[in-house]
Amino acid sequence: MIQVFLHQLGGVFIFFIQVIRTFFITKGNFKPILAQIASVSIRSISTVTFAGIFVGAILVLQFHLILSKYDAESFLGGLNTSTVVREIGPLIISFLLAGKIGAYTAAELGTMRVTEQIDAIECLGTNPIQYLVVPRMIGIMISNLILLVIGLMISLGGAMMVATWVCHINYLEFMSSIPRFTSPWTILGGVLQSLIYGTIVAAVSCYQGFTATGGARGVGKAVTLAAVYTNFYILLANYLTSRLLELHQNYLGTT
Amino acid sequence: MKNQNLASTKVWMRSLHFIGAPLHEHLATWKDACVLLFQVIQRIPQIHCWRLNEISHSVVQTGLGSLPIVILSTTVAGVILTNEIAWHMNAALHTVTMIPGFAGQFIFRELGIAIPALLMVAKVGAATTAEIATMKVTEQIDALKLLGIDPIHYLVFPRFIAAILSGACLSVISVSITLACSILISVMNYHFSVMEFFNALRHFIGVKDMICALVKGTTYGAVIPIISCTYGFRCQGGAEGVGTATTNSVVSATIVVIFLDFFLTYLFTLVL
Repeated sequence: MIQVFLHQLGGVFIFFIQVIRTFFITKGNFKPILAQIASVSIRSISTVTFAGIFVGAILVLQFHLILSKYDAESFLGGLNTSTVVREIGPLIISFLLAGKIGAYTAAELGTMRVTEQIDAIECLGTNPIQYLVVPRMIGIMISNLILLVIGLMISLGGAMMVATWVCHINYLEFMSSIPRFTSPWTILGGVLQSLIYGTIVAAVSCYQGFTATGGARGVGKAVTLAAVYTNFYILLANYLTSRLLELHQNYLGTT
Repeated sequence: MKNQNLASTKVWMRSLHFIGAPLHEHLATWKDACVLLFQVIQRIPQIHCWRLNEISHSVVQTGLGSLPIVILSTTVAGVILTNEIAWHMNAALHTVTMIPGFAGQFIFRELGIAIPALLMVAKVGAATTAEIATMKVTEQIDALKLLGIDPIHYLVFPRFIAAILSGACLSVISVSITLACSILISVMNYHFSVMEFFNALRHFIGVKDMICALVKGTTYGAVIPIISCTYGFRCQGGAEGVGTATTNSVVSATIVVIFLDFFLTYLFTLVL
């Protein structure tokens, strides 16, 4: 089991290096990348909006429940925003992207591989990695960032709505405690995390699709494996990045 | 309205179609899901539906199958949660004595239940939809109907019961693991003793929180197979249709779980 896991990890890593090298070596063609960004963002924006509102709302309800026991309701806004920007936002957006776009990409590339369309592209003298994988991978990575920014703003809006209507906390009070916990560095940390998770989603789903074997069942297996491995790698990366950012904050001495 | 007719119609009509067609599709799916839920609930009192062999097989597939990833993820989640809470409390109040209450309540009410539910959506829901959609596309479900076998009784009911059972069990397991990790981190990094932690925890966690955790876990377990079976039964058009159905079912189930989470949290803040 450990061997299979390490084999997967190494395969994904080598594949990712290959794709990045192809991206830098070959002459850049940005039109397919832009098309990918547009299609990925538009397809997932409704999901991200919906999830953003409710995640902000849930967190406010839970934090209010706990903070009211300590009579520390004035920290609600800061705590909620800081948690969303630091951890939950990048995590949820990447999970949604893995479920929607990652599965779709793995299925698409897997079907192409199984029906030998990728071999046909290779026979015609085109590099399939340059033609198929590079736009998808870069597109997913960049649209993850776009969706993160949109999701964070919407989640803040949902949180403020619930704080005003349900918890009876003035939105000015809600806003005023935000700078206590967050700084531009925090947002940069969130964006960095999101970039890493987006890379994981893109690399794992493209790798699973690209190396699928064995008919329609193989495509199904590739999709499932892509979803499971993406979620697992994202959680591992989450632990590592949060340790890293914590060290960075301790080093800066910001509180 | 077919696509070739669209080009000749007016722009406002086309834009209405652009909004209305997906909306109609979604509403029809929700209607189907509600009908399926009622049909399954109708079959609970009927004794011949409880085929224990099938149900236990399904429990092994859904519950035990997702146990390893749930254990790994909740371990990581517990560690991160404790570190984050400590950092925030240190920034706000310059003390870390609030870790037990804060972490305990957050784990019992939210984190320990939401993470296994989302993982079950990705693992169990996707597998169920793919299986049933493949059966639908290859006309095995029509064959079942032809043989006089009720597909809801045969396919949906065992999964429904199994998912409820494994949802409850998984939430209990994940809550315990997350709590254990939280205790471990606060003992190692923040100089609590285990007894201190439990003593502080006792003031914040009661029977209410455990009821809340169980109700939430059961509800998510009940919702996931219904949605994935609905998408499976609605699947059309070959292997590509199976892929689309699986993707759509995972996204919808995630959204429904998040929405139900909000709804139940709001309900529990009012009631308990």
